[in-house]
Amino acid sequence: MKDFPRIIIGLTVACIASAFIMGVAFMLTIKAKKHNEYVEFKEAMYSALGYTHENPAPSTLQFHEVYRYILNEPKKDYMGYMIPLKNGKYCFVALNFDGNFLYKKDLNISEEEAREESAREKALSAVLNPSVKFFYANRIIIAVNNGKRVAYLLPRGFAGFKTTIKVLLALEPDYTIKGLEILEEEEDPGLGGEIEKNYFKNQFKGLTYKEITQLKVIKEPLPEEYRRILEQEREFTEEQIKKIREKYQDSHIYALTGATITSTCVTNGIKNIVKKFAYRIKVLDKIIKDQHINAVI
Amino acid sequence: MAGKPKSNFELILNGLFNENPIFRLALSMCPAVGISTTLMNGFLLGLAVLFVQVASSCTISLLKNYIHPKIRIPTYTLVIATWVTVIDLSLSAFFPTAYKAMGIFIRLIVTFSIILMRLEVFAAKNPLIPSFWDGIGMGLGFMFGMMTLGFIRELLGAGALFGHQVLPVKPLLFFILPVAGFFCVGFMMAVYNYVEFLFKKAKEKKMRG
Repeated sequence: MKDFPRIIIGLTVACIASAFIMGVAFMLTIKAKKHNEYVEFKEAMYSALGYTHENPAPSTLQFHEVYRYILNEPKKDYMGYMIPLKNGKYCFVALNFDGNFLYKKDLNISEEEAREESAREKALSAVLNPSVKFFYANRIIIAVNNGKRVAYLLPRGFAGFKTTIKVLLALEPDYTIKGLEILEEEEDPGLGGEIEKNYFKNQFKGLTYKEITQLKVIKEPLPEEYRRILEQEREFTEEQIKKIREKYQDSHIYALTGATITSTCVTNGIKNIVKKFAYRIKVLDKIIKDQHINAVI
Repeated sequence: MAGKPKSNFELILNGLFNENPIFRLALSMCPAVGISTTLMNGFLLGLAVLFVQVASSCTISLLKNYIHPKIRIPTYTLVIATWVTVIDLSLSAFFPTAYKAMGIFIRLIVTFSIILMRLEVFAAKNPLIPSFWDGIGMGLGFMFGMMTLGFIRELLGAGALFGHQVLPVKPLLFFILPVAGFFCVGFMMAVYNYVEFLFKKAKEKKMRG
């Protein structure tokens, strides 16, 4: 019994000491970590849009983010978008699931501040009715060049074979796929992990909206000349690429050897993302037009 | 562990061969089987374990007189978890490329039995310097084991080494899967036993002769 206080004190001191060490390490690293994540995401964005060091993005290219929220009132659910305005602030538009306009509020938050989720929550709870609960759903990044939309970037996740696969999908304004980047996956290395390789993810590049809606996975070996184009696009001229893509690219994706389930997950995931997005952006554009919102996008 | 204390060099050799964590002690089999799919994975995880093992061994051997024997296991776990967190945070901040490759494994190290076992068996009974070298030996032994497994599995499973294709084909795709990890571990244990057997034989011959 006389050991009891010693045990309590010993464990408490050990916990406090280790908490202190971890806290110091956290404080010293958090800034660099956030910065790394931001840089990494930026790189993925440019690479999904097809920009490289030899082919840099134009300096007039700007990115604007639209955030989608699910709102929950005691008796009804609906959703809302945070839309960036020309004056550098945001406005919040609520609409029901059929796409009908409910209400509009102005938010006092700049685009820079809105990147932080906590800042967005603060700005939203300042204008919304306190009985409304809201949950962040996802975001659309819109690339604008000289006042014209050039691409949509969609950071999304879907279920893979083992865990959630996070991707960044770049779409042209007509929903043709511009590029696909895998941000996070934990599939089997060598099997499902091959989705990160160019010869798989570049198969999605250039698929039109119509092709995407009928997309399916086929279990056939990837033709050798198609594989070479997918892996090393830079070594070929545009004409060669076009010719080979026309020959092989249709509403199908060649499955990875030994990873049919992962291939199907990715294909269906992308199909769903594009289908949902195409519907939502139409609704959003209609609301922006009908409500005369001075949106920057 | 009677007899005269081992020299630093002997401590390292001990970790690599006599008491190799994976092939002799058969500890930390989960990562050995699950993560040693490529040579690079094996190397990175081995490196991380080396750091955690050395840091924890040193900490425990410094603090061993203040730890109440009844609560030593929670204290050891706490020490390991602290070091793992520190390494996880600093890697993610200062070496983002390495972290991208090994991030998911690092947090697993908290549960590695080999580290806890070395703290209990060695660091809690020995002064700082031998504990340090024992940590290095065990870490290197683990890294060596992981890299051997990674070498076999990547070469046979993917026909590659360090991610570069070295064979024109993928000989046995099966070797990438966790099941094949057990086969490799079993095979390497047999190799170790055979080498030991040869050594014993040579020794006997020497004694007789």
